[in-house]
Amino acid sequence: MKSVLWAQFLKDKRNPLLILLFIAGSIVATLILGGGVQSVTTVAIFSEEANASEIEEKWGALLNTNDSFKFEIVDPEEAREDVRDGSSDVAVNLSEDDYRLLVSKRMPGVSYVEQHVASVFQQEVQISAVESQEDGNVRDEMEEYLADAPFQLESQGVDGEQIPKFNIRTQLLFAFTFLISMFIIGFKVNNVTQDRVSGIWDRMILSPVKKTGMYSGYLLYSFLITMLQIVVVLIMFKYVMDYDVGNNLWLIILISACFTFGMISIAMLITGFVRTPEQFYAIYPSLIPLIPLVSGAYMMPGTITNPVLLFIADLFPNAHAMEAIMSVVFYGAGLQEVTMSLLYMLLIGIVAMGVGINLVERRSS
Amino acid sequence: MLETINLSKSFKGKKVVQDLNFYLNDGESVGLLGPNGAGKSTTISMISTLIKPTSGKIILNGVDAVHKPGEIRSVSGVVPQELALYQELSAYENLKFFGSIYKLKGTELEKAIQQALEFVGLEDRKKDLVKIYSGGMKRRLNIAAALLHRPKILILDEPTVGIDPQSRNHILEAVRALNQQEGTTILYTSHYMEEVEQLCDRLYIMDHGKVIAAGTKEELLSILSTEDKIKVELSRIDEDIVQQVETIEGVRKIEVAELQLRIIAAKGSNLISKLVHLTEQHHIQLINFHTESPSLEDVFLHLTGRKLRD
Ligand SMILES: Nc1ncnc2c1ncn2[C@@H]1O[C@H](COP(=O)(O)OP(=O)(O)OP(=O)(O)O)[C@@H](O)[C@H]1O
Ligand SMILES: [Mg+2]
Repeated sequence: MKSVLWAQFLKDKRNPLLILLFIAGSIVATLILGGGVQSVTTVAIFSEEANASEIEEKWGALLNTNDSFKFEIVDPEEAREDVRDGSSDVAVNLSEDDYRLLVSKRMPGVSYVEQHVASVFQQEVQISAVESQEDGNVRDEMEEYLADAPFQLESQGVDGEQIPKFNIRTQLLFAFTFLISMFIIGFKVNNVTQDRVSGIWDRMILSPVKKTGMYSGYLLYSFLITMLQIVVVLIMFKYVMDYDVGNNLWLIILISACFTFGMISIAMLITGFVRTPEQFYAIYPSLIPLIPLVSGAYMMPGTITNPVLLFIADLFPNAHAMEAIMSVVFYGAGLQEVTMSLLYMLLIGIVAMGVGINLVERRSS
Repeated sequence: MLETINLSKSFKGKKVVQDLNFYLNDGESVGLLGPNGAGKSTTISMISTLIKPTSGKIILNGVDAVHKPGEIRSVSGVVPQELALYQELSAYENLKFFGSIYKLKGTELEKAIQQALEFVGLEDRKKDLVKIYSGGMKRRLNIAAALLHRPKILILDEPTVGIDPQSRNHILEAVRALNQQEGTTILYTSHYMEEVEQLCDRLYIMDHGKVIAAGTKEELLSILSTEDKIKVELSRIDEDIVQQVETIEGVRKIEVAELQLRIIAAKGSNLISKLVHLTEQHHIQLINFHTESPSLEDVFLHLTGRKLRD
C-alpha cells in the first residue's frame, strides 16, 4: 500500500498544478458565485409607480432588516441596465403591495434574496389584513408585544457563544468546496482504471502486493489529497477571508472526511461500470454536478420539497454533509447531533465501495 | 519445469486458445510465434496467472499454478505487450516503484535498479521522465521493470514492436545475455520470425488459438522440405569432380556455373562431409559453401497458406 501511495504522490508532486488549480478554483468559485468578499450583498430596489419615492422608502425600510443584504434605492433605468448587462444579479421592482424580481442569471444567491423579499411582503400583507379589520395601530402594538414577548428567542451555541445567523455565503462556500472535491476525487479514483488499462495494475497483481493493499493505496491517496484541498480552503476562508465557518473546525473536518469517504466510494462505484478512463471522464463529470443540485446545496435549506428529489439526495453523501455542517455552523450542533448524518455517509460509503470493488473485480475475470 | 496441458480460453464463447500443450524447461529459450490475434498474449496471460483458463492445466514443478499462483508469480517476470509504466515519472522512479512492490528496500533496491538500468542501457537517462523517452527506450524500461526481482523465468510479450533497429538489437542482445549468462529461462513472443530464430532454442507456432507446429528450428524447417539447396565454390572445377559429385548418394541435380556448383540433394544425405572428402582427394580447395534453406517464414506459409505478417 505504501508503494502505491508513494507513486500516486510522486505523480502529483511532479505535476502539482492540477491540485493547486482545484484549490484556487474552490476559492474563486465561492468568491464569485457566493457574492464576493464583502459580507453584505447590495440589491437594487426601485419603483415605477406614480408615488415611487414613497413606495421605495416604505419597502426599503421594511426590507433592510437582514444583515446579509443591503437594499438600495436606485434609478429604474439604471437598475434594469445593470441586470441586463449582468453587472448585478437581481433587482426588485416594487409597487404598492406587490413586487417583481428582475433576474439576470439564476445565481444561487438570488433565491435567498427572493425568499427574504417574499417573507417581508407576506408579513406586510398579514399586518394590513389585520389592520383593515381592527382599528388602532396594529403595527405598533405588534412591535411592542414582540419587544416584550412572554418567551424570547435567542440563539446561542451549546457553549453559550453567539452563533452566527444563517448566511448563504457560508453555505455556498461548503457547496463549492465539496463540488470541487468531487472532481478531485474523480480524477484520483480514475487512476485505478488508468493503471488497469496501462498494465501497471497487472504488474502489481503479479507482485506480492495484496489486492487490499492496492485498493487502499489508491483510495487513501484520493482521500488525503481531497482532505488537503478541503482543509486548505476552509482555513483560507476562516482566517484570511473571515467567513463564518462556526467555532468547531474539527467537527467540520470530521464531517468533510466522512463526505470524502462517501464520495470516493461513489466514484469507485462508477469505476465499476466503466472499462476505460475515457468512459469514466464521460460519465463522472456529467453526473457529479447534479448531486449538489438535487441535494439543494446551492439553495436555502428547505427549498427542495419534492419527495423524489429528497429521496435521491439522501442516497448521496452531499445532502448529509451539508445538513450536518449547516447545523454545526449555524446552530452550534455538536458531534452527537450530527452522528446520524455521519453514519449515513459512512453507510453510503461502505455499500458503494463494496459494490464498486466487486464490479471492478468481476470485470477483470 | 513449466508445462501446460490442453490449455484453453474462450471469451464469450469464442475460443481464443485451444488445447495448448506446451512445456518450458529450466534454462531454455522458447519462442511463441504467431500472427496478430493468434492468441499469444492470451496464452501468456494464462501462464503468468493474470487470467484463468477456461479449461486445462498449468503446472510448475508439479504444482498446479492455476489454483496456487504464488510460486509462478514469484519466479517469473512478465514484460507486457503494452507499456506498463508511469509516463509522468522518471525511469528511476518507475523502477523504484516496481521494485518496492516486490518488497525490495534500501541498498538492495538501489542495486537492483542500477543493474536493471545498466542491463537495458538506460543508466545515463534514468532521471528523465518516461514520457520524453523514445519508443525504444520505453520498451527497454518496460523490460527492466520486470527484472528487478531477478526472475528465473522471463516472459516477454512482443517486446520489440514498433521500435528502431538499434533498440531492437539492444533488447535481443540483453535477452540473449540473460539466457546464456544468467541461465534465465525465456519465453519470447513475437511475430518477427528473425528474432525468434536468433534467440530461441525451440519454438511454437500458433495460429487461430492453436499450436500448428512445434520444435527446434531445424525440426520445423524439416516439415517444409525434403531437399537441401547447396552452393559450393571451388578453386577449380573439372569434368571428373562433377561426375563424382553426381554419384554421391542423395544428389539429385547439379548445375555448374564457372567455379560454382549448385547441388540439390535429399535432406540428410550428409553431402558436405562427402564433398570435403572428395575435394581433398582431387586437391581442390573448397573455398566456400552455402546452404540455401527455407526460412521459418516459408514454414508458416506452408502450414497456413498465409504470410506471418502482411
Ligand atoms: N478480454 C478479451 N475479451 C474478448 N476477446 C479477447 C480478449 N482478449 C483477447 N481477445 C481476443 O482473443 C484473440 C487473441 O488475442 P491475443 O491478444 O491473445 O492475440 P495475440 O496473438 O497476442 O495478438 P497480437 O500479436 O496482436 O498481440 C483476439 O481475437 C482478441 O480479439
Ligand atoms: Mg499480443
